[in-house]
Amino acid sequence: MSGFGGVLPWARRTIVEQEKWLTAEEFSAMLGICQIVPGPNIVNLGVCVGSRFAGVPGAFAAVLGLMLGPVALLLVIAVLYEHYSYMSIVQGMLRGVSAVGVGLIASTGFKMLRTELKYPPMLAVIFLVLIAAIYFHLGLGWVVLLASPLAILLAWKKVKK
Amino acid sequence: MISTLLSLFFKLSAFSLLAFGGINALLPVLYDLSVNQEHWINGQTFSDYFAIAQAAPGPNLMTVTLIGWNVGGVLGATIATLAISWPSSIMIYFLQRTILNMQDKEKQQAIQFAAGALAVGLVLSAAWQIALQINHSLTAYALTIGTIAIVFFTRWHPLYLIAIGALLGVLGFI
Repeated sequence: MSGFGGVLPWARRTIVEQEKWLTAEEFSAMLGICQIVPGPNIVNLGVCVGSRFAGVPGAFAAVLGLMLGPVALLLVIAVLYEHYSYMSIVQGMLRGVSAVGVGLIASTGFKMLRTELKYPPMLAVIFLVLIAAIYFHLGLGWVVLLASPLAILLAWKKVKK
Repeated sequence: MISTLLSLFFKLSAFSLLAFGGINALLPVLYDLSVNQEHWINGQTFSDYFAIAQAAPGPNLMTVTLIGWNVGGVLGATIATLAISWPSSIMIYFLQRTILNMQDKEKQQAIQFAAGALAVGLVLSAAWQIALQINHSLTAYALTIGTIAIVFFTRWHPLYLIAIGALLGVLGFI
């Protein structure tokens, strides 16, 4: 419920930095699986973490726990938005918040990047993904398909290192 | 109404299995569907929904929930949220078990390293693409970059940053 600014930065903070349920590498890897499998990654992460500790019920509990409160509150906010979105103050506020929101998503990426620096050759995969997605505007499915062979090859070398 | 809700359900369910990199990576596609193709909402409303989803406590997929709410109220919101979640949840449940139950620990670790690296690339490129869509002024970009810097060098809770962004916006800077 305290997942302000998107749950991902918060989830990382709670799971890795505070509760230490998972190490930074385990979290990155688990998040990696959750993001490589298509779908909302926080729901996926809920399914992963929940089922790891308590199977199917754990998965349901984690996802419902993540969703119910926020959805209820969100609908209240949505009603308020309907009434007040014409005000320039509200519009300015939303512009400010979305700019910060983008920054939060990016910083989650940069924090994960720091983990990858332990094995620099892996940066080639990240570079490939960025080029394919941003420069060539490939669909996400194609980006993953393209970058996977190199990722698996380098990951195998990292394991054998 | 029923046909709109069905269309909402099926299109978002299909997206669930296309959403490599999560909802953030899906935002451009989502924009295209809800604004350009189906005309459920306009571009400005989409940006605002992104901001609300960021500011409200809860996952980023709230953008989808809000689009559903706009289409069909509480029922629409529920349908949209379920639609985007169910196919991928089932998939990740079995995939995660397969990977964790793997006997060859080296292979398991390799898959996780590979997936981790891909995720970093996907999150970063998604952030870049969303920034281009959402930020319309230099000050907005400055705020985005400032946010990254603060997260990197301090341990502030994201809520403070959201509040600062909101305040700067209210004061008319963004």
